[in-house]
Amino acid sequence: MPGARYSAKAERFVLSGLGENDMAIGALAFVSLCFLVLGGAYLAGSFFLPMGTAAHPGAGFYPLLVGIALVCLSVPLLGQSLKTKEIDQRGEEAFPKGEDLQRVMAVALALVFFAVFLKPLGYGICSAALMIAILRFLGMRNWGRAILISILSMAISYYLFASVLDVPLPRGILFS
Amino acid sequence: MSRFLGVSFSLNMDSIQGLAYGFGVAFSGPNLLACLLGVLIGTLVGILPGIGPIGAMALLIPSTFALGPTTALIMLAGIYYGSMYGGSTTTILINVPGEAASVVTAIDGYQMARKGRGGAALAVSAVGSFVAGTLGVVALMFFAPLLAEAALKFGPPEYFSLTLVGLIFLSQLGRGSALRSFIMVGFGLLLGTVGMEPISGLPRFTLGQLQLAQGVELVPVAMGLYGIGEVLIISERITGIPQMIKVKFRELFPTVAEWKKAFPPMLRGGGVGFFIGLIPGPAAIISTFAAYTLEKKISKHPEEFGQGAIEGVAGPEAANNSATAGAMVPLLALGIPFAPATAMLLGALIIHGVQPGPLLMTQKPEIFWGVVASMYIGNVVLLILNLPLVGIFASILRLPQHLLMGLILLLCLVGTYSVNNSILDIYILIGMGVVGYILRKLKFDLAPVILGLVLGPMLEKTLRQSLFMCRGDITSILYRPITAVLLSAGIAVIVLPHLLPLFRRKEKVSR
Repeated sequence: MPGARYSAKAERFVLSGLGENDMAIGALAFVSLCFLVLGGAYLAGSFFLPMGTAAHPGAGFYPLLVGIALVCLSVPLLGQSLKTKEIDQRGEEAFPKGEDLQRVMAVALALVFFAVFLKPLGYGICSAALMIAILRFLGMRNWGRAILISILSMAISYYLFASVLDVPLPRGILFS
Repeated sequence: MSRFLGVSFSLNMDSIQGLAYGFGVAFSGPNLLACLLGVLIGTLVGILPGIGPIGAMALLIPSTFALGPTTALIMLAGIYYGSMYGGSTTTILINVPGEAASVVTAIDGYQMARKGRGGAALAVSAVGSFVAGTLGVVALMFFAPLLAEAALKFGPPEYFSLTLVGLIFLSQLGRGSALRSFIMVGFGLLLGTVGMEPISGLPRFTLGQLQLAQGVELVPVAMGLYGIGEVLIISERITGIPQMIKVKFRELFPTVAEWKKAFPPMLRGGGVGFFIGLIPGPAAIISTFAAYTLEKKISKHPEEFGQGAIEGVAGPEAANNSATAGAMVPLLALGIPFAPATAMLLGALIIHGVQPGPLLMTQKPEIFWGVVASMYIGNVVLLILNLPLVGIFASILRLPQHLLMGLILLLCLVGTYSVNNSILDIYILIGMGVVGYILRKLKFDLAPVILGLVLGPMLEKTLRQSLFMCRGDITSILYRPITAVLLSAGIAVIVLPHLLPLFRRKEKVSR
């Protein structure tokens, strides 16, 4: 039986809860590689710190241990993620495709724009723009209503945080 | 024996006095208001998708700066246990668990709703939550002082092994594979070392950023992983307003037969939940599965489970509430959180300059007893909020998704900015949001990141102190009984899952 050969592996695969298609497997390999690189860089960085002695450990001692642990854990995950490529799996969720993926990326990009322009443009413009973007991306069809809601939520959140909670929100070009 | 009785008796007297004092604290104006607000927000975030208790607590930590530590903790704890009530509402009415701790309730709760007993399911879960939540607070009140007293004898090696073993338990018992969870612990510990080193003041891994010398803040990390990450996942699909099963007010009263069936599971669930709550890990979630399995095992009609068995609602819903009380024990008695939500509470304490640990109860009795008393009050309020007013809360789900997600994002951004008025924190928030989205899609458990970040500095400090104490010979801490027991438990938890299949295989062969 050709299926039986894989069943033990497939069982392990189900237990580890992996995604089904190549993209998810590729992504897992990518993520474990990221952790490996991060752990390696961190480990290297810890050598620049004073190690101290066993009885008087220095600032670099504990990061050294954490770095070693991270590297040692990422390697088997990377191995796993590369090995599981051949196994066919069903019913696991992976990353979205097409329009759905674009929507997620658009939301993330809108957030980055907010962070970049918060200081120069100020909270008012940035928050209203973010709100319009999110409302439109996530399916509000009516432009007028989107703009109205954005301005309202900007005004309320500004009042709440800047006036009531005394947070010095960046005012930017409009209100300075 | 008499000495033992004497000790326990005097402790009980202390508890009653302490509780009376605590009620005095909790009933004072701002604290009472904080409790009401906390449980209200908790119920809301329990119902709403996209933001859970951890994200909400992170969001509100900055707004507690102006309040005293007691008031802040009362409010944040209210969000934590309040969310356990709210989570059941959406589970039963639309089959969408608002919280992971309500997933089990969906099995029988939604079936009950489809059979027209949705009102009874809601009532039983609210009453069960109340009974178990209150029982849990009683247990917390008696357990925490005992544990704190024992912990006064703990030295750095004990704290080191307790923290380490806590992280191991969390990774092994959590969702997803243990290997991934351990990587998440490592990631959290790594983030925890960024910034000024506590002993020599040397900046570590700050990448030349002056602001990073203060370290990576808990608020942007928690809000990114649990708030932004969740919004990104929800953004994948545009969905309409969910179809809800309508429940009339008079349907909210379960029949006498239903009460009789539901009451014992509430008590059992309460007991199971509290003790599981003491164990490091996603206690509330595990406790619901344990309670459900228990009810199914001892039931005379196990075939009813999955078809709308009321015991399958009462047990788990009770368990997740007493588990939150159990999870508060290590936090309040030892100053060590073992669940992401209690880690947020610890973060709040530290931000308010309170030194958590076994001395908290004696040095800051207003915090311990105030929070305990507020939990009694909060549970009563939650019962009122969740029974007659359940319709009002459920109608919040009619808010369109785009509006809800937009508001959550805006709150996350402003909330993070308000901690340090720092743009860098916003970048950390967004970065963590994307990381959280990707990791969650790949079935990584994110709780260990939060706990690694919070417990990391404690782990490093106690490790270095221990090494100093035993002059570099780390093996000598194994001669301390508590340390030895803790570390063996940690090793057992790692090794046992690998050994058990071997035994099973042998059984098969011998057969």
